[in-house]
Amino acid sequence: MNPTIFLQTTLNGLMTGGVYALVAVGLTLIFGVMKIVNFAQGEFVMLAMYVSWMLATFAHIGPYPGLLIVGAVMFGLGYAAFKFLIVRVIGKPDEAFILLTLGLSIVLQNLVLVIFGAEYFSIDTPIKDEAFHMGGLSLSVPRLIAFLVALLMVAGLSILLNRTDLGRAMRATAESREVATLLGINPIRCFTIAFAVGIVLAGAAGVLLTPMFYVFPGVGTLFNLTAFVVVVLGGMGSVTGALLGGLIIGIVEALSSTYISLDLSQLFTFLIFLAVLFIRPSGLFGGAAK
Amino acid sequence: MNPKRAKLLPLALLAVVLAIPVFVHVPYYLHICFMIFLFATMGMGWNLIGGYGAQLSLGHSVFFAIGAYTSVLFVVYKSLTPLVGGLVGMALAVVASVIIGLPCFRLLGPYFALATIASGEITRTLLLHFKDFTAGANGVPIPFHGTNPLFLQFNSKAPYYYLALAMLVVVASIMRLMEKAKIGRYLAAIREDQQAAESLGVKSSQIKMIAFMLSAAIVAACGALYAFTVGYIDPDSVASVNLSIEIAVVVIVGGIGTLWGPVLGAAVVVLLTELTNMFLGGLRGGANLVLYGTLLIVVILLKPEGLISFFNKFRPKQGVDKTQIAHGTHA
Repeated sequence: MNPTIFLQTTLNGLMTGGVYALVAVGLTLIFGVMKIVNFAQGEFVMLAMYVSWMLATFAHIGPYPGLLIVGAVMFGLGYAAFKFLIVRVIGKPDEAFILLTLGLSIVLQNLVLVIFGAEYFSIDTPIKDEAFHMGGLSLSVPRLIAFLVALLMVAGLSILLNRTDLGRAMRATAESREVATLLGINPIRCFTIAFAVGIVLAGAAGVLLTPMFYVFPGVGTLFNLTAFVVVVLGGMGSVTGALLGGLIIGIVEALSSTYISLDLSQLFTFLIFLAVLFIRPSGLFGGAAK
Repeated sequence: MNPKRAKLLPLALLAVVLAIPVFVHVPYYLHICFMIFLFATMGMGWNLIGGYGAQLSLGHSVFFAIGAYTSVLFVVYKSLTPLVGGLVGMALAVVASVIIGLPCFRLLGPYFALATIASGEITRTLLLHFKDFTAGANGVPIPFHGTNPLFLQFNSKAPYYYLALAMLVVVASIMRLMEKAKIGRYLAAIREDQQAAESLGVKSSQIKMIAFMLSAAIVAACGALYAFTVGYIDPDSVASVNLSIEIAVVVIVGGIGTLWGPVLGAAVVVLLTELTNMFLGGLRGGANLVLYGTLLIVVILLKPEGLISFFNKFRPKQGVDKTQIAHGTHA
């Protein structure tokens, strides 16, 4: 086994894992607070990619400077989705929520298809092809940025959840809606904020992905399934779990596609997923750190 | 609607659909009807576990793909009639349903749905990977045997139309019988309250497994019929998440846990898709799916019991006295 190839593969996997973690963190926040799985999370990533692409193409605002604008747009979208759709199924069976967000993901994906067509877009930034080189290894700059931002976001989210009143209110709502209400917490307000922040995180992932991925209507589905896997692996609702889960899945995918077969890499991801579901449904890191 | 008319309605409907191919010869229209029958049948199969069993499966493409690939590959490699290959496919789908069901029934809520999605994706990945056997992403065209009923190859669409209709009638009859039989009552009890049912001695996991196996066999048969009607299969058309979702959506739009919901749902969903393709097809792909997704959202928010409830409104529910409901004494 060539050590350079092994190290390079692991490094690539680690960087991709950071991106997966980024997508998964928003999903796990929504699950952690609301106990529901948002099947449209990948579509919000896709929407943010389109917004980021439009900013770069029509207003010449690059993805990294545009992060704040996209974040604001995504907060608005998340808030609207919650007010008009999500709030109506709170308290109903899980199935209603799964099907509602499935419907939303179908609508969003195909609305974009109708408006922009099926073309693959990409943005031109000089940073796209830049990379650090070190002893035969190379590290692409956009991937490194995505990885570092993922770390920052996980840290920020942990602080929000553990060190602020808003975060404590959210965690109390997650523990027990009734008790939280008795303590004077407005659970619907907590749900609204958790959902909108979760969508902003999806948006941040989308922005950071734009320099390395093509922008097309189906791009969200690529991340949707992987994000579910990461979230379950890390323990549904666990923010640090999502980070570690993302890194593990990234490395497993990279190693299996290099050493076994490119088209089987997804198979291992799903097998790990099922194994975790059956053996330890609370996730590898569930219950440890919130 | 009085009960007598309610019983006559399906028969009258059957008479009409039996006569359609006599007057309509446009292959496209017959194909639309075929797809309605096919999805109605699959919806009934899905309903067994998704509706009556209350386990939201988003992985029924597994069984469809097994039915389609088994029957087609038997023709390709062994020139075996799909009448036998389809049965083998159904048997394999039942085996798959046990493999999936045993561990997955322990999972609740979103976990079950996620695990079934993963099963579907594993199936698709395997079909893509073993190219030497399944032709991978290129798909498998069905070898031409001339017009030969034994190989389900005909020179018009009408025979496929009648085959799908026959399958629908058979499956609907099985469902009707099951609703009245013990297993149907057990499933209804599990749907209402699994814990209460178990405390009364209903072995819920066993009952669900039987329902899942039957469900898998029905959908596998549909997969085989679809393959020979279209003449070509590939992983994206028979093993995609979207197919699994569409099977579920048909039932949810029509009316989950009801006998005729899947038929109504299939008619609405297939017609909606095809009509938008016909009138907005020039626009750009996607318009039909925007409507389809919107329909799903609207039904979930406004009519979670499905469109069939518009029809049932006129008919008092069997066995429930309205005055009991009014007095709140109905358990």
